[in-house]
Amino acid sequence: MANRRVIIIPMHFRSATLVLTRYLLTSGLVALSTLILFFMRDVLTTPLVALLYLMPVGLTTAIWGLGPGIMSAFLAFIGFNYFFIQPYYTLAVRHTSDVFMLLVFFIVAVVISQLVGRAKSGLATAMAREREATQLYELSTALAGLHDERLIVRTVVEQAQAVFQGERIEIGLADGQQITVSFPPDLPNPTRQPELTIPLQATRGDMGEMRLWCSDLPISVSEKRLLQTFASQGALALERARLAEVEARAKVLEESDQLKSALLSSVSHELRTPLATIKAAATSLRSSEVSWASSARSDLLAAIDDEADHLNLLVGNLLDMSRIESGALKPQRQWNILSEIVGSVLARMQHLTMQHRLEIDLPEDLPLVPVDYVQIEQVLTNLISNSVKYAPEGTVIQICALVEDGSVRIQVSNQGPPVPVEHLERIFEKFYRITNSDRVTGTGLGLSICKGIIQAHGGRIWAENLPSGFAFNITLPQVWEEASPLQLPPDWESA
Amino acid sequence: MSHQPHILVIDDEPQILRALRTILTEKQFRVTTARGGEEGLTHAAADAPDIVILDLGLPDMDGITVCARLREWTQCPIIVLSVRDSERDKVAALDKGADDYLTKPFGIEELLARVRVALRHSARAKGGQTNLVRAGALTIDLAWHVVTREGDEVKLTATEFNLLAYLAANRGRVLTHRSILIHVWGEADAEHTEYLRVYMRQLRKKLEADPNLPQHILTEPGVGYRFIADD
Repeated sequence: MANRRVIIIPMHFRSATLVLTRYLLTSGLVALSTLILFFMRDVLTTPLVALLYLMPVGLTTAIWGLGPGIMSAFLAFIGFNYFFIQPYYTLAVRHTSDVFMLLVFFIVAVVISQLVGRAKSGLATAMAREREATQLYELSTALAGLHDERLIVRTVVEQAQAVFQGERIEIGLADGQQITVSFPPDLPNPTRQPELTIPLQATRGDMGEMRLWCSDLPISVSEKRLLQTFASQGALALERARLAEVEARAKVLEESDQLKSALLSSVSHELRTPLATIKAAATSLRSSEVSWASSARSDLLAAIDDEADHLNLLVGNLLDMSRIESGALKPQRQWNILSEIVGSVLARMQHLTMQHRLEIDLPEDLPLVPVDYVQIEQVLTNLISNSVKYAPEGTVIQICALVEDGSVRIQVSNQGPPVPVEHLERIFEKFYRITNSDRVTGTGLGLSICKGIIQAHGGRIWAENLPSGFAFNITLPQVWEEASPLQLPPDWESA
Repeated sequence: MSHQPHILVIDDEPQILRALRTILTEKQFRVTTARGGEEGLTHAAADAPDIVILDLGLPDMDGITVCARLREWTQCPIIVLSVRDSERDKVAALDKGADDYLTKPFGIEELLARVRVALRHSARAKGGQTNLVRAGALTIDLAWHVVTREGDEVKLTATEFNLLAYLAANRGRVLTHRSILIHVWGEADAEHTEYLRVYMRQLRKKLEADPNLPQHILTEPGVGYRFIADD
């Protein structure tokens, strides 16, 4: 039990038995010296005896410290007087010179024990300080770089337990997350109140407290001080972790704010461009200064009509985008025939695709797909209109589909220029353009809407370069809520 | 037409009301406008319009409610104006008795076409059906259950003919999936859109020159189908 604690503080004896043992040993050593000297008294002169008596005094002080040292000096003084100064076997002193000798002996013995004792206690204190410093260093090294509150608390508890070897140590955080870490783990806390409670004080107030159970041993002042240092180190680490978290959150907010303003400025640019055309055309037509030839007049009117449609498309795309981002874009799934969707896309886009040759290759036996008709129509519209924009006039745009690994795969390919590999993923990002945005008109949202819709359907969309062109690929799951495609109506083909 | 058809426009947007009043008056219609549902219902009861153009987003009540309230006592055609992307609203309005819908923003030619379809349909309803429907190369005899394409008879199954007959009888008007399913298959199959998809594809193959680019049986995305005939 005696050396269970690593830190030994001199003059502070943790157990009464230990203290008693030391004093008993001191007495024994002095008695032994007296016995040896007593048998040798015929060959020894009195001053030599006095000198030899200083040996146990020095030894006891060196081994057991100042207290036993002083006691041994006193005992040696008694023994010297009793056994070696005439008259023998009394404490009376006959000669004045002997009185001086005794006095000098006593003073020398006490001074020696004092000096030796102090040196020893100084050494012990220095060693204890060094150990404390090492322990604190280890703690702060362990805490450095930790950002998780639970990990910080566990580190402090484990380090404190390694140092203090108490029955149990626990740290409970008061605010925020309710974290309580105890060591040794897996054991219930003692039912009694903890012997010591140290608050975890940081610059912004209490963060919790450290509780110690150590029934058998009292805690010294310096141990308490060290524990407090541990607690405050822990508190500071926790505070640092929280500040880092707050900072990270602020950074995310700031970034999303920047993204929003980038989006807004891009959107307002996109919105104003068609508005400018409409405004210019409408004011020209109203102007009384110019009388428009009928062809110019119809050109201006067509511009107004087209730009109004473009504006409408843009607003629709923005709405879709915000629905996708807020997770409100829920596909209204129904069993659909892909060729019907493709057909209505083509009918709707006839005027846009006139400059290209369209090839449709959809197998007759393609199974029905569980999709939102309107949304998939929009995806195909966006992909085809993207192909129309980038592929040279007169080239082929192909739409084909096949069943592959339980999914329906649709490919929209064109003979346009390849896209650099590093852009293949990024073209599905909002407002991402490879080319200068002034050259190609559009909303910059088309492909990211496609991605949002396909993902909401549980499918996948990607772009790839072909040997002679470029292609978008889509896969759509063939099953919907575990159900496989439908049963045909009963009177199917019964003419 | 002997008398000027009377159109009631219910919409809360003053700009839309102004534009429609100007355009429709120019096209020889008599126009009354209302800024809200209650006002619209009062006008409808007082003036008995030939056709109602109804916005779904009204300040005082839902357009669909107005639709249902009108249907309690009048069969006058109702054309719904709705904003984009609310297929569910459109379907709800159509199932609650609206005859057609138009998405905002809309072209005025489109609106006038829908108005003409609606007026013709209500005239037919009053004056009795014609049994012969012509659509391009197609002739559909609703009484004798005979369909010909460029003079040759087209063989249809019973269900296919029922489907085509329902579309043709309502030519020009949008029909929701639900109303077609109930009419052709019955109440129990009202949600089985897949039947419709398969039969429509089959019908198109038999009737359309290019089934992938249909000219007569048009898909109304997310809503239903519309049959386009000559008249």
